[in-house]
Amino acid sequence: MSNEIVLEIKNLSKVFKIYHEKNNTFFEFLLSSFKRSKNIEHLGVLKDISFNVEKGKMLGIIGSNGSGKTTLLKIIAKILVPDSGQVSITGKVIPFLELGTGFNVELTARDNVIIYGLLLGFSKKEILSKLEKIIKFAELENFVDTKLKNFSTGMYARLAFSTAIEVDPDILLVDEVLSVGDESFQQKSFKKFSEFKNNGKTIIFVSHNLPQVQELCDDVLWLKNGHIESYGEPDKVIQDYRNSS
Amino acid sequence: MTSILMEIWQKRSLVFALALNDIKLRYKNSFLGFLWSFLEPLLILTVLLFVFTHVIKSTIESYPLYLLLGLIIWYMFSRSTSMGLSSLTDNAHIIQKIHLRKEIFVLSSCLTGFMMMLIEFAAFGVFLVAFSFIPPATAFLFPLLLIEILILSVGISLLLSIANVYFRDIKFIWQVVLQAGFFLSPIIYSLDMFPSDIRTILELNPISHLITIAHDLMLYGNLPAISSILYVLIITGSIFVLGCLVFKNKESKIGEEL
Repeated sequence: MSNEIVLEIKNLSKVFKIYHEKNNTFFEFLLSSFKRSKNIEHLGVLKDISFNVEKGKMLGIIGSNGSGKTTLLKIIAKILVPDSGQVSITGKVIPFLELGTGFNVELTARDNVIIYGLLLGFSKKEILSKLEKIIKFAELENFVDTKLKNFSTGMYARLAFSTAIEVDPDILLVDEVLSVGDESFQQKSFKKFSEFKNNGKTIIFVSHNLPQVQELCDDVLWLKNGHIESYGEPDKVIQDYRNSS
Repeated sequence: MTSILMEIWQKRSLVFALALNDIKLRYKNSFLGFLWSFLEPLLILTVLLFVFTHVIKSTIESYPLYLLLGLIIWYMFSRSTSMGLSSLTDNAHIIQKIHLRKEIFVLSSCLTGFMMMLIEFAAFGVFLVAFSFIPPATAFLFPLLLIEILILSVGISLLLSIANVYFRDIKFIWQVVLQAGFFLSPIIYSLDMFPSDIRTILELNPISHLITIAHDLMLYGNLPAISSILYVLIITGSIFVLGCLVFKNKESKIGEEL
């Protein structure tokens, strides 16, 4: 396996502004300009984070709620802009932060897959050529032209997952989405992850499911209150994490 | 600037797909839904026609066509800007999950408004036949006018959509502005009816010029005044550039503010 680094994060920091009195309307804004008090608190969500991920590795990110896991993923996905530090990425990143982003229940499975693919940055031709494979992986051959509102939760989840996985990213960001679907579909998804890794793709996996992380990941990063508490072998990091709480 | 345009051009199939889906959803994939887009302006047209031909006698030449054309232009502008205004907040769930140029949502909303106008324009065609009215040669310039209105709508939408992210009541303020704009534009009346000092004030509204130009090109065969064209182009150009600058400046912060 090559040791090419596909994701490099250096001294990354992110501060959120917490407004105690947020002006959500224009009139409130006009009124508040007469008042003096400006209540803004700064909350450091990520503090000086640095790490590298090699090609073909699966990195698990663990930590309690509010430790900055999702913020970190969002910065890697360029949805949020960091306040300082650098993120360098080689290849195409597919964020998979939620099942079925941009899905519209009034549209058919086919229309939704096309829109989702376009949102992720693929050309219409590329998506149409993958459509059949996506539907097949989701086991929804008989429902291509059914509106999503008539889908069960499981069918919906399968369609969303298959679409994300078939669009062939170099780096896949997964946030807490594998808890859906039945046993056999989860097994299928895990198999897909291993296949991914064997093809030299990189996966970053955020989860609270520790056994899953332990089984799947090559390295684990433990975030605590916005800084890296520990980074390394899954067995060791997860052991430390368990002991701490 | 050019790199941004290139990037957006590469995303054109997404812009079109979003706009088409929007149209599909609006008409719920049904034929009656499609028919509604004809019925709505037709209904308003009927009411206005009744009031202004029977109650208040209008002296405008080919008044039904005059009225319908003004309505179509006005609807395109008001729909595009209202949909453009809420395009970022409406698509917050996508913007917070996928990195994209956010102009795409504003553009596709305005494109939806443009497509709806094209559908209504078909109704205008039916009226032309019904009145056996043959448009003058200047009607060939009409598409240019439509493009100009589209660019103006996009410029205004870029500004309003950002404003609406920060202040959620911009939406309601804009509805009031549009309501006023409807009566301050020569849709049901003609600017000629006013004394010159009132007319000068009404002509500050760029939409007034656009609707007058539409009437001239499509119905009366007059070329618009150079001063009118210049005024409209300067207003559109400055709003568009300002919109792009404000949008570019605020774009990266939208993800957090939504």
